[in-house]
Amino acid sequence: MIQPQTHLNVADNSRARELMCIRVIGASNRRYAHIGDVIVAVIKEAVPNTPLERSEVITAVIISTRKELKRDNGMIIRYDDNAAVVIDQEGNPKGTQIFGAIARELRQLNFTKIVSLAPEVL
Amino acid sequence: MAVCSTTTLSIGGSVFSGQLRHWEPNESKLFQKPRSRFRWLCLNDLHLLRFRTKTLNFNPRGSLLPSLYAYGKEADDAFLSKVNEDTGEMFDDLMKKYGEVVFRKNERKSPSAELDDDTESLSFAVEMAKVASDVKAADIRVLFVKPLVYWTRFFIIATAFSRPQIDAIGSRIRDLAEKKYGKVPSGDAKPNSWTLLDFGDVVVHIFLPQQRAFYNLEEFYGNATLIELPSETQPPFHT
Repeated sequence: MIQPQTHLNVADNSRARELMCIRVIGASNRRYAHIGDVIVAVIKEAVPNTPLERSEVITAVIISTRKELKRDNGMIIRYDDNAAVVIDQEGNPKGTQIFGAIARELRQLNFTKIVSLAPEVL
Repeated sequence: MAVCSTTTLSIGGSVFSGQLRHWEPNESKLFQKPRSRFRWLCLNDLHLLRFRTKTLNFNPRGSLLPSLYAYGKEADDAFLSKVNEDTGEMFDDLMKKYGEVVFRKNERKSPSAELDDDTESLSFAVEMAKVASDVKAADIRVLFVKPLVYWTRFFIIATAFSRPQIDAIGSRIRDLAEKKYGKVPSGDAKPNSWTLLDFGDVVVHIFLPQQRAFYNLEEFYGNATLIELPSETQPPFHT
């Protein structure tokens, strides 16, 4: 359940470290974002001397949340932190590596690119 | 009376949570000794039994009862003496007693059926690669990634030199797949510098040259076996 003002970790090697969500993309009044939702975020912390820098506005996809993700077969997945992967306007990830396990729901939501870069798919 | 509780299991840093069910068959006639409480641990996704869950520790009453019982009277007596041992060893004993596989879902296919599916996907993949080479895509690779990932069987990676070419490759692959195999891909509809077409067990990646070098998927899937394509799809040999 990510909403504006939520701080998220960055789970790829795109040189950003921490993001703050400023908008959930979807319906106009959408309150929360879950795994697989696109958000607009501002970079709060970044690795110095890289293309991405602090207070830059970027789009990201949420790949892990502390709020559990429920599946139809009764399986529940809950991560230890909220994390996102930085993407560009075309939907391509900005980084080349993804860290951590990815839920397979991202594949159905057309983020197969992130799934194919992931080390493990749950 | 059934009690349900959710617990988080930590495996290798990332947290994976399953539904744990406690079951008390007070009315069961299998026990000759009177038991006040019997709990049987069952996880939804049974391959989790193989993991050593050292964090597994529920004894909500905090009583003298051990936290995990095995089903069956002789097992009960044997296990009462091992109350304080590690749960990992308890699982090892269970494996020895009841065998490695306690339960197998019936939906698993036999190896020969799997192989048939693989050859079918392979012929589909090779045909898509041929279509890509007809449109003059460069450096086409077909990787067999089934041993590495479970969610797909083959990757096709191709390079196109312009967006209209990516568009052309994408639409030809889509048309052929729909006409001949009846498969509709999910993925990018508009041409993209990395266009992906997801056919389920075959995933097609079409890159522009800079993106291919940037993402370097071949290195990430370096352990996958490369499938030999018919010679006309190989890049021309320059002497």
